[in-house]
Amino acid sequence: MSKKNNRSQKAEKVIERMGQKLNRQIAGSMLACVHCGMCTDSCHYVLANPGDPTYAPAYKADRARKLFKRHFDWTGRVFPKWVGADTVTTDQDLEELKDIVFGKCTNCRRCSINCPMGVDFATFNRMMRGLLVSVGVMPEGVAVVSKDQWEIGNQMGVLKEDYLETLEWMGEELQDELDDPTVKIPVDKMGADVVYSINPREVKYDPRSIADAAKIFHVAGENWTMPSEGWDMTNFGLFSGDDALGGSVAGRLYEKVTELRGKTLVISECGHGYRSTRCEGPNWAQHDVPYMMESSVATMLRYIKEGRINVDKTKNPEPVTFHDSCNNARSCGLFEEPRELLNLVCMEFREMYPNRSENYCCTGGGGAMSMSEYTPRRLKSAKIKADQLKATGAAAVVTSCHNCVDGLGDVIRHYELGMEVTQLVHLVANALVIEEKVQVAVEEEAAVAAVAAAEPAEVATRETVATEGIADEALPFAGRTVLVVDDEPDQVDFIATVLEDNGATVLRAADGEEALAKARSEKPDLLTLDLGMPGRDVGEVYETIRNDADLENLRVCIITGRPELRKLIYNRSVKKPEGYLDKPLDEEGLVLNVKKVLELT
Amino acid sequence: MALVYITRITWFLKRFKAGKERQAETGLPGTTKAKGIVYSWANVAMPWAMESTRKKPFFYAQFLIFHIGGVTAAIALSFIIPYAPGLLENSTLVLLLQVSIGLACLIGVMRIVRRVSNPYMRAISSPDDYFSLILLTVWFFFATLSVPNSTANGELHLLTYFILTAFFLVYVPFSKICHYLYYPFTRYYFGKSMGYRGVYPLRSESR
Repeated sequence: MSKKNNRSQKAEKVIERMGQKLNRQIAGSMLACVHCGMCTDSCHYVLANPGDPTYAPAYKADRARKLFKRHFDWTGRVFPKWVGADTVTTDQDLEELKDIVFGKCTNCRRCSINCPMGVDFATFNRMMRGLLVSVGVMPEGVAVVSKDQWEIGNQMGVLKEDYLETLEWMGEELQDELDDPTVKIPVDKMGADVVYSINPREVKYDPRSIADAAKIFHVAGENWTMPSEGWDMTNFGLFSGDDALGGSVAGRLYEKVTELRGKTLVISECGHGYRSTRCEGPNWAQHDVPYMMESSVATMLRYIKEGRINVDKTKNPEPVTFHDSCNNARSCGLFEEPRELLNLVCMEFREMYPNRSENYCCTGGGGAMSMSEYTPRRLKSAKIKADQLKATGAAAVVTSCHNCVDGLGDVIRHYELGMEVTQLVHLVANALVIEEKVQVAVEEEAAVAAVAAAEPAEVATRETVATEGIADEALPFAGRTVLVVDDEPDQVDFIATVLEDNGATVLRAADGEEALAKARSEKPDLLTLDLGMPGRDVGEVYETIRNDADLENLRVCIITGRPELRKLIYNRSVKKPEGYLDKPLDEEGLVLNVKKVLELT
Repeated sequence: MALVYITRITWFLKRFKAGKERQAETGLPGTTKAKGIVYSWANVAMPWAMESTRKKPFFYAQFLIFHIGGVTAAIALSFIIPYAPGLLENSTLVLLLQVSIGLACLIGVMRIVRRVSNPYMRAISSPDDYFSLILLTVWFFFATLSVPNSTANGELHLLTYFILTAFFLVYVPFSKICHYLYYPFTRYYFGKSMGYRGVYPLRSESR
């Protein structure tokens, strides 16, 4: 019986749809490979897994190419074995293909620029992903994120009210910081010169980046706004290969900007978001975009060059290096603007090598951060990146991509590099020279914080806090009790110190059982919960807390360095946590997020 | 061969439509798709441009000898012998051709060894890959012997050389050897996109 007769329905559809998706660029890449092997050493997976040829770009490409040869090329149809043509027959074949196209490639395109023949493997790898997704064969994380982006409008499932509340909250923070009640984050302002779109990660995990951008826009005197809908400039269609999703997501944003009559769409620092919105979206959506689109990096640089903002680079004294993100750099040419900006706002900028178009992927690209089943493989392949970072000796790595922030964060933690990851918007905001009136308010706030930090650290009790009087009441968490649950003493010390400095009473627990016991006896206002602890299953602990009637007022904030463990909580059919934070933590982010969780905004 | 090539190109252009870029150009001012296309086409002559060729200068030199010293010279020989045999009375030219084609033959042997012994190469090689390389290497061998255009030691070398040349006319259009047919197209589209996006020409500061 022929393979065609035995072919599963899914395999049949993949082949049929392949014929519809092939364009000249992809067909050329399928035909032109001479198997010279020149692309081999360009791939970080190969370099980190020596001796395993299944990571070689040509090998990976051939898993898809063999289908093309078998079904669309003359020689492959007549003499399949001679030219390495083959087909897919079973669902298991598709699963094996899934492991290659999703699990062994981040579509970084480093092999494409090292191919003498101009074979663009990354592009047709994306096509293969799209074919598998169309028949429901994909990693679970891809399915979940795609679903969120289809149904809720952004890839992290952020509800509209949460988004708008976060903007309002950040606006209020900015008012306090600048001592200017007129400062706000405008939403849906008509006819603005700039419509600013962001990554939902900023709403969920890094709201400070929204405030920093708003500060820059305010100081620059920009006529700007943020959209209430269609605000997510990220696009999982780039990673999943789903052009329909890509077009739909990009289209929502374009239409909103058109509706607002915005003149320029400024895209916050996100690699795949910039590429999807600025470069690929118009093609997916078949939508000509009548206004300008630019990266916020270019916007900030322009402000400095035009004298709209002044910066003082001495405010960023630590040596930094820059990671060129695959999507906005190698695929969109954003090389020089970040460098120019870094040299203006930092005292010491150190290049990593190689860089620009030859930089190595952070290993978190291509949607890899959402595919937890490939995490061990990803982290192993990140050795190359870790070596690059270490060689710079920098205190921080700067990147213009939120995906890279997470990817590099994982690399730094895994390889214990002791570096921070930051973005240009934070550095620019930090370097801003602000008018005297506002500066005085900032200095007063810094003085208050210094006084609070100078007070001796103690394990406070609620009675102690209650009797200490007016000075403590001025602190944001005065009168609040927080139970910090983590098995790493350094983490607990850090969190406890920050919260105590801000007036909280902090209790500690090192495992789930102790956490439950103290929660029941002390009735804290907030529990911060690490997900990677030994002992009792953390998901079970969480569910127990939620099901305990005595703890119904207890708020929970998950703090974890392993985002893939969040499914321990997501999979429970109980109330979700009030907040999530990723490690490594920074003081400012921790305080802001705890304020949000405790509704102290 | 020409007929097959014309049919192949026609099929390629008609069956597969070119994707278009609708968005405005990215990249710094002065980066254009035209520059990207030219840069991309010239890639083969710029070993410093790609990390893969920059880090393997010896491999790149082999490529040059194999394609120019070998393929081009051996093809030229198939025209010189029947149509301009007088040229081969020049002993310097004969020596030059024999050395270049002979070196290409040696490189062919090295490439066969590489393809058989390197696990990465084995993993990506099909029977066509092996056969094409072996065929070319054997052809270079007989071409080297045929350059003097002499039958003093028999005609077998000349006969073999021309039979192989004729076989190539039939085999090449259906094998990987016809990759040069696609080179202009793949490099055109890749260069156009990368030029449009301001990635091409690549900057030297990357290293």
